[in-house]
Amino acid sequence: MTEINALVLTGYGLNCDMETAHALSLAGANPHRVHINKLISGEVDLSNFKILVFGGGFSWGDDHGAGVVQAVRLKTHIGEALLRFIDRGNLVLAICNGFQTLVNLGLLPGIGGDYTTRSVAITYNDCGNFRDDWVTLRLNPESPCVFTRGMDVIELPVRHGEGKFYTDKETLFQLVSNRQVVAQYADRSGAPAEGKFPENPNGSLLDIAGICDETGRVFGLMPHPEAYNHITNHPDWMRSKELNRRNGAGMAGGPTDGIRMFMNAVAYLS
Amino acid sequence: MAHRLEITLKQGLPDAEGEGIRQKAKNYFGIEIDRIRTIQMVIIDADFTPDQLSIVQREVFTNPVTQRSSYAPLDEPFDWNIWVGFRPGVRDNPGATAVEAIEDVLGIRLRPHEAVYTSKRYCVTGQGLSEAQMDRIAGGLLANDIIQQWRIISREEWQPEEGVGIIIPKVRLDHTPTVTTLPVTSDAELKSLSDERNLALSANDIPIIRNYFTNPDNVGERAPVGLTDPTDVELEYISQARSDHCNHNTFRGKFFYRDPVSGEDVVEDNLFKTYIQGPTLALKEKKEWVVSVLWDNAGVGRFDDNHNYVITGETHNSPSNMEAYGGAITGIVGVYRDPLGTGKGSRLIMGSYGFCVGPRDYDGPLTPRLHPRRLLDGVIEGVRDGGNKSGVPTPFGQVTFHPGYMGKCLVFVTALGFMPATVQGTPCEEKTTSPGELIIMSGGRVGKDGIHGVTASSEVFSESTPAGHVQIGDPYTQKKMHDFLLEARDLGLIQFITDNGGGGLSSSVGESALLSGGCEVELEKVPLKYAGLDQWEIWISESQERMTIAVRPEDLDRFMALSKLHAVESTVIGRYTDTGKLHITYEGKTCAFVDLDLLESGFPQWEFEAEWLPPYQRGLNEPVLNPPKDYGRLLLDLLSRPNICAKNWVARQYDHEVQGGSVVKPLGGVGRDVPSDAAVIRPVLTSEKGIVFSQALIPFYSAIDAYHMTACTIDEAVRRLIVVGGDPSHIGGVDNFCWPSIQYDPETNPDGKFRAAQLVRSCRALKDLCMAYEIPLLSGKDSMYVDGHLTGRYGESHKVSALETLQFSATSLVSDVKNCVSMELKAPGDLVYILGLTRNELGASEYYEHLGYIGTRVPRVDTEGSKRTYTALSQAIEGGLVASAHGIYRGGLGVHLAMTAMGGGRGLDIDLGKVPVEDGDRDDVILFSESAGRFIVTIDPKHREAFEARMAGVSFGKVGTVTDAEGRLTVRGLDAEQAGGSTIDLRVSALKEAWMAPLGELI
Repeated sequence: MTEINALVLTGYGLNCDMETAHALSLAGANPHRVHINKLISGEVDLSNFKILVFGGGFSWGDDHGAGVVQAVRLKTHIGEALLRFIDRGNLVLAICNGFQTLVNLGLLPGIGGDYTTRSVAITYNDCGNFRDDWVTLRLNPESPCVFTRGMDVIELPVRHGEGKFYTDKETLFQLVSNRQVVAQYADRSGAPAEGKFPENPNGSLLDIAGICDETGRVFGLMPHPEAYNHITNHPDWMRSKELNRRNGAGMAGGPTDGIRMFMNAVAYLS
Repeated sequence: MAHRLEITLKQGLPDAEGEGIRQKAKNYFGIEIDRIRTIQMVIIDADFTPDQLSIVQREVFTNPVTQRSSYAPLDEPFDWNIWVGFRPGVRDNPGATAVEAIEDVLGIRLRPHEAVYTSKRYCVTGQGLSEAQMDRIAGGLLANDIIQQWRIISREEWQPEEGVGIIIPKVRLDHTPTVTTLPVTSDAELKSLSDERNLALSANDIPIIRNYFTNPDNVGERAPVGLTDPTDVELEYISQARSDHCNHNTFRGKFFYRDPVSGEDVVEDNLFKTYIQGPTLALKEKKEWVVSVLWDNAGVGRFDDNHNYVITGETHNSPSNMEAYGGAITGIVGVYRDPLGTGKGSRLIMGSYGFCVGPRDYDGPLTPRLHPRRLLDGVIEGVRDGGNKSGVPTPFGQVTFHPGYMGKCLVFVTALGFMPATVQGTPCEEKTTSPGELIIMSGGRVGKDGIHGVTASSEVFSESTPAGHVQIGDPYTQKKMHDFLLEARDLGLIQFITDNGGGGLSSSVGESALLSGGCEVELEKVPLKYAGLDQWEIWISESQERMTIAVRPEDLDRFMALSKLHAVESTVIGRYTDTGKLHITYEGKTCAFVDLDLLESGFPQWEFEAEWLPPYQRGLNEPVLNPPKDYGRLLLDLLSRPNICAKNWVARQYDHEVQGGSVVKPLGGVGRDVPSDAAVIRPVLTSEKGIVFSQALIPFYSAIDAYHMTACTIDEAVRRLIVVGGDPSHIGGVDNFCWPSIQYDPETNPDGKFRAAQLVRSCRALKDLCMAYEIPLLSGKDSMYVDGHLTGRYGESHKVSALETLQFSATSLVSDVKNCVSMELKAPGDLVYILGLTRNELGASEYYEHLGYIGTRVPRVDTEGSKRTYTALSQAIEGGLVASAHGIYRGGLGVHLAMTAMGGGRGLDIDLGKVPVEDGDRDDVILFSESAGRFIVTIDPKHREAFEARMAGVSFGKVGTVTDAEGRLTVRGLDAEQAGGSTIDLRVSALKEAWMAPLGELI
């Protein structure tokens, strides 16, 4: 099979690029960490890539709204190139700060194929503070999202101060009816969080943690799949290890739920 | 002209910031407010067209979904308005990023006199609120007059079209940079100059300095470059370099130590050499993993054949004490430059924090500059923003409350870095400067901020401490620089690198020039934040986020191109030479010309009288105390004490997962809410190997003897490593001393001799423990003036001094992280063991403190016995025999049994009669003694034989079993009969309730 080149953005305060690249290579892709300015200068050409990851971090310090300044810079200099990238049937994964950037670019939600209108926002957590915690996510089996195929309830860490998904009623209705709501915060049993803190860590409307465009090829979420790249990332792993031992089982093997998202992307492109 | 844009959330969207302030106003000051809405203000001080203005309003500053904005004042309703903005010259990070965004979206460059400033307007609504109450909120919650200004406007005064007006905090110095020559005709004159200019020169140094500048040879050498008497540049340089902060005069001093009781009377010449350098060099011989110690910005240890890790620790006490947020964020961002400046540069992989403050609920007569509660909020947020925005995980830390820290708080920040073993074929830990190489300054620009920070932190905090050294760190600028410099390192473009911290260029250039043997610096080349700084200010300014790098001329173009790619400012400011001189010019005119080794030579050692008094000589005795009857109530009360209770809201604010290597997190257990013994990270994502990190701080024992305080602190840090699975044969240490003043003075510091003796004893314990446990000290720092003068009820001022405090941080390795063990109980029926001897050592324990006693029987470390225990336990863990393991720390066995039960959400059935004890025949002793070297371990019953065989030669007891999920903590005491069956019988949920009660609700 041909190599699947993935581009992970770096620079200007972005910071999850190394583990994101690691997650991509575990999934069988060929990751490249590329500074935003190399895309702008044309030194690196987007058309050589099939996956583009807007990763986590604090681009421009998150001043003036998380992801806002990054969106301004990308739209101003390579807005067209990004649209062409999506048109070509490639995949875009936007995690945390990347998700915030995408909604400010208008690449999400991309309702009716409109990839330039800012119609949803990701704003300050209702809890009033930055929060690092693991959350349970219900994934929507009906959604066209490429990255979550074959997955239902998973756990991932959130690490953000601005993760509250917000939009107007009509847009919310459209997102639901278009099945663009991919991931929702839930309690540990997988039942909807219904806004309860800390299961819903930020007060997101409808417990929304991630959405995709209508094609399912552009996906943004607040939790960090790349931070669940190894079994020992999970907060309960030491207890599970010990209890599994008692009933003769070894440590849970196979890829983590975080890595499976990246594998889905690779599988789709293969 | 300037334009003012106001931005706020749309109606109906909750304003989390405003709501947070409303609640604090209620909880902290009892001020009832209906509602607070926040308005962001952006002042654009540039000539823009209406088109340009609407583009930036739309594209940059207004989210169409959540916000509304206007260039005229917004019509947000209010009864009172509080406007808060920065003072001129204070770092305005959002203002700086706004400039980047505006230039990008408009495709223009702002002109030199143009800028963007941010501030906030709070719209407060409520019944019968007074201006005084608004001022309380402004000064007590929203702003700190050191860095900020505020205005309060009532609805009556409000002019709808004017709003708060347009306030531009622009620095205008209107000053021509001048070099002043300072006459040094007499010592007295130099002394008064030192006082005038806040040089903090020590009286003993003054004659040496004068001799240098009056010595005929030097006078002869200086004449040709146009210098006679010393310039202010030269004296400020010497003052910085000689400050205790940079030179560690205390630890290199001479201590005349006397113990009248034992008759011991010795001279301790140079504590650093005897107790830190000596042992560490000896251990370096034994430990092949020790790569580089005692000279660089951080120590270096081997991780695997291809990687080294580096570690260092710092404190940032004085600035945090005055401006908690600014001080703390500057502290964490600052310590992150140390690994970046270690060897040819290291990537940051982890940070930790330690906060020591006064009681959070203090309501006594003393008036510290910041109330402990506000101070704690500020330092927590400072480290949060500094760490999170640097993309570095913060998986460990602690908070300690004690009245002694009201004089000056402590803010410990520790940083771990990671480097490849070699760069372009040369060892990455090696670096040097050579004649002809260029001196480059990268990162931020230089302003007046931070001037005399170093000398201020070498003084007791008082009203006269210059506020100018309080800064606000800029993690965004530093993260860009960090990414840039690591790429430059990997391309082999960096010959030498160090950070600009204390002393600024004067120390980074001065110290790096020692290697090549000289330097020439052209000060006018240094990029400034604003014009008008004097040459000496440019030279010693501590403006943040700057590194000094040595680059070969042939590499300059590549270095600069890479710098541009990463949007980092880099400037050639001079070159290294071998003339033996530090030669500084400004626009061609020499303003400093001194021998580089001037600082090496001839300065006298500091001297200290040190007199030790044993506890009973200080009026301490064991309390006369009959055993309690209600142990259940006692345990619950201990769990609710400030230094024991849950502080989860701190850890949750810190990103501890970034970089993807989190293995053991700060909080664990079924509820993910009980603190772990240590942190474990996996720095190489393709490897199963991990770094284990822990730290400990138990200042309370200093009330009895700082020797045992130090011994117990180090022992705790070591146990924390072992108990999660760390390798006992690889333990690195970092010592951070924070001590009250030790220079005796009958009026101002009457107990100085005792404090000095405590320091000597502490250093002796440091050596004893490091040799016993074979811990090379990879790094260490000292902060020697932890005192403050606080005003009391009648206007009188009190000197408040901290307990003698040591934070000890430790590192270890684990070959396969999948062997790590957590602290919470696992399965019902598991057997519970106590390892290590419990002694009658309640001195300075949490139990005694709770009852209002200190006592005398402070815990003592039996290193030989402990070493056997630690080896046995780590083998049992590696062998997979251990289900859970937890150290017994502050609060003793009772408190820590509760921790394991709360962690596992399971009960325990414990028989105190089975606990291995030595001279401890009382339930309260067994439950609350804080004897060192002990663990609580649970195992699967089927491993009993193998486990007990492993424990051969170790004091251990099988004390009970783990019970089911709905379980209770049941403890059967020695005199259980009298107690009517069991001594303690509590629902685990009741333990959790008590432990969460004080601070568990905070977010």
